[in-house]
Amino acid sequence: MTFEPTNIASRYFQRRVLLLSLIPLALLFLLTVTLAGTYHAREEVLVREWSQKGSEDLSAGQPSRAFEDFRNALSYDPNNDLVQLLLAEALLADGRLPEARSYLVNLWDRSPGSGKVNYDLAHVSMRTGDWEQAVRYFQTAIYGSWDEDPAQQRNKVRLELFELLLARGQTSEAQAELASVAADIPPEDATLHEQTGRLFLKAGLPGKAVTEYEAALRNNPRQPQWLEEAGFAAFAAGDYAKAETFLARAARENPSSEDHELLRTVREVLDDDPLRAGLSNEERAQRSWRAFQQGLARLQECTGSNADPQPSQQIPSDLYSLLQDAKGLKGRVSLQSLRKDPDLRNEAMQLVFHIEESTLKTCGTPTGTDHALLLIGKEHAGNNP
Amino acid sequence: MNDRSAPIEETKMPSPEVNSPSTGITKETGRRWFNVGPRSFTLSEGNLFLILAVIIGLFSGMAVVCFRIAIEWVRWSLLGSALAPPPLRVLFVPAGAGLVVAFLVQRFFRVARGSGVNQTKAAVYVFDGYVPFRAVIGKFIVCSIAIGSGQSLGPEDPSLQMGAGIASALGRRLKLSRDKLRLLAPVGAAAGLAAAFNAPISAVLFVIEEVIGTWSAGALGAIVLAAVSSALVMRTFLGSEPMFRVPPYTLAHPAELLAYAVLGVVGGVLSLAMMRIVAYFRARLRALPEWTNYVQPAIAGLLIGLVGLRIPQAMGAGYPYVDQALHNQYTWEILAVLGFAKILTSSLSFVSGTPGGMFAPTLFIGAMIGGSVGGLEHHFFPATSASVGPFALVGIGTFFAGFLRVPITSVFMVVETTGNYSIVLPVMISNTIAYLISRKYQDVALFDLLARQDGLELPSMEEQRETVVLRVEDAMRKPESLPLQASDTLARALEIAGTSPEDLLFVRFPTGRWAGLLKKDLLTEASNRPKDTQLREVLSSARLPVLHPDQRLDDVLRIIQGHALLPVVSRAGSRRLEGVISLLDILIAYQKST
Repeated sequence: MTFEPTNIASRYFQRRVLLLSLIPLALLFLLTVTLAGTYHAREEVLVREWSQKGSEDLSAGQPSRAFEDFRNALSYDPNNDLVQLLLAEALLADGRLPEARSYLVNLWDRSPGSGKVNYDLAHVSMRTGDWEQAVRYFQTAIYGSWDEDPAQQRNKVRLELFELLLARGQTSEAQAELASVAADIPPEDATLHEQTGRLFLKAGLPGKAVTEYEAALRNNPRQPQWLEEAGFAAFAAGDYAKAETFLARAARENPSSEDHELLRTVREVLDDDPLRAGLSNEERAQRSWRAFQQGLARLQECTGSNADPQPSQQIPSDLYSLLQDAKGLKGRVSLQSLRKDPDLRNEAMQLVFHIEESTLKTCGTPTGTDHALLLIGKEHAGNNP
Repeated sequence: MNDRSAPIEETKMPSPEVNSPSTGITKETGRRWFNVGPRSFTLSEGNLFLILAVIIGLFSGMAVVCFRIAIEWVRWSLLGSALAPPPLRVLFVPAGAGLVVAFLVQRFFRVARGSGVNQTKAAVYVFDGYVPFRAVIGKFIVCSIAIGSGQSLGPEDPSLQMGAGIASALGRRLKLSRDKLRLLAPVGAAAGLAAAFNAPISAVLFVIEEVIGTWSAGALGAIVLAAVSSALVMRTFLGSEPMFRVPPYTLAHPAELLAYAVLGVVGGVLSLAMMRIVAYFRARLRALPEWTNYVQPAIAGLLIGLVGLRIPQAMGAGYPYVDQALHNQYTWEILAVLGFAKILTSSLSFVSGTPGGMFAPTLFIGAMIGGSVGGLEHHFFPATSASVGPFALVGIGTFFAGFLRVPITSVFMVVETTGNYSIVLPVMISNTIAYLISRKYQDVALFDLLARQDGLELPSMEEQRETVVLRVEDAMRKPESLPLQASDTLARALEIAGTSPEDLLFVRFPTGRWAGLLKKDLLTEASNRPKDTQLREVLSSARLPVLHPDQRLDDVLRIIQGHALLPVVSRAGSRRLEGVISLLDILIAYQKST
């Protein structure tokens, strides 16, 4: 393509027109700047308004309406990560998992280290049954970035991960997560201490649960519910003295409560345990004697037999064997002999513990003193006092 | 052109004498400011044209920005800011706006009716590059109202025409020659489309593929500059984000390509169906009495509103929904429903004569159909497919290729809007299949079809592309006799002449030069000179143009004038004679080809 100049005048004219065209260009520029400015300002307002409406709807438990609102907001700012996240949460709340996942995956592509995105993705994965993926997302969320109160958010995620792991039978991993949570809890966060204590209990670590309850109670020592839970944790951990303290305090704080069964049991354990440290010989003998009598009564009651049963009586073999042992020991055990002979005392108590354990299987959970003896037996199982 | 001489000549321009006493700035000073050009702003006409292309791009870019904003303002005002407007508005706004649009078109802006692409082509091929500025104003106003009110049309085609109109107006203001004006319309069209698509490469390719049909180096430079500057303006004002946020793509399994082939078939069939629907109903509606043009857009609007009550996504340009489809926001069933609903609403809008373009609906339908096919595939073969998003993306290109019949643009458009080259393989497979199906069952492309309905016989770029180019090798024949050497004597020449049926003998010189010797001239020379005279003495200055087998016969027609026969030589060595060709041979070849 070549453009030969038609003549000098026309070239001169063309250049002048070209230069003059800059004037309307400048005017159009000003118009466009003004229009675009107004347009973007309006868009920002719309994004804000729709997002706010969506958040309100989501809080009001109307995720489907919230979803529409957030979608409206996004149509004016498609790359707004916050609105996308809110939209995904609305979808999640509305049970529209594939759509929620899609938005979250997009967000994840842009911010793979976002704690919130990973946390929401973990929820989507959980609800779709992809447990392993859920665990991975939870773990990434724990170490991800959080905009607000990261420590608290991370603990929240850890606790959910703990629940997930526990539900999947990965107890040791769950306990490890919970231990991480416990390590990071600020001393003044009583609620979280209490919550963690409850979860330690759930995870089968009552000893650690007691520690958390103690921490929680340091901030709020008169919380009856926590005191009861702490008592139960100590009871589960076999620390009956501590359990008695907590439960007694709970009873004092909440005298109207009629449920003091556990406190009674704990007190019976404490009162009946002949192997407890610090007892005098006489007291030890007395307790052993009472326990022996109680054990024999429990055995006879459970087998429905007299002191000299016959094999034809259809008694389970282990109970029959215990009856024979009791018969053999009964002649030797007296309050006197128990005072003098610590070995006999031990032998008698071992028999009592066996009786309580065996009758538990055959005749159900005992009550009262039998229950206390059962617990005492468990507490000292493996110990040779 | 002699650029250096221009300033010297132009300093001879007469200068004005009137002064402005109040300011002290004389008119002479002002003129001198404008006259800076002749001294320092020295430009060739070619460079001037390139600067003009940039200015056209800037104008077009800003016009399109204002146009897009105007559409949004109309939408907010008439339908509200929600994606799903209130039912009453959905039902009545498109119909009411249809009445207004029809009135404006019939009374004030008749030029705004019809396809912007065809009007630009008409400007190039029929009206000497003339696009009335009224068309720019008209398209801006009526398309803003139509698209903003929910009519199922897009802003790209009007943007293209607005660009062409701005370019044409500038060209006329500059009093450019007819040839240059013709060239300006596509330049403006590319600028308008680049801004509308925010994709300059696709815009350039579309204009070349559909409007001008050739890769002219001169035009290409201006078109590219205009498109780039226009897209730059667009990005400055409305953000540099691509038209769609695209999902990440990786080929999950080689077998997935089969699914893309299926998408090509589905896209091809549906684009063909939509093309037939548009062509059939548009012709019928245009045949109705003139007064019906006042109500056709309103009736279409009402029907669209009825569809919109259940499927609001089928209204307007629909870009946000394309984005949602690309990000797996719909199930495959919903995607299919949306695709078919959009075919219905877009066809209604378009055939009713409502001004607006079919690009955006094409993208929408393609995304929905693609996503639907992808969703189905994912449903039945989850192991071999990644996600629905890439299918929606490929679907855009597929429907674009099948419906608008611009296969190259369709591929590049997807690549350009994604910025992801890895998607190109499925895009090529699917687009090609859709294009071939559409072409096999519908001879005439959509734009040509619309032009013919409008009574215009515009050149079909598709037909031009498909036209077989005849070359020298298609027409040449074997030489009847061996060529003579420059060292041969007249006696030898007479001997050869006696056996050759041709009237012309070729003489080859050692340098590779060829000369021709007519038999009658040979006889004259032989009677005047000794028989042992070498031919080089006889033909000392004679030279024949030579041809090569791959040259186009169209070009040869210009060369062969005045020659009875020309030698065809190898490109590997001009001394090797491959054949001979005459004007008659060329005519026979053309005759055979038809």
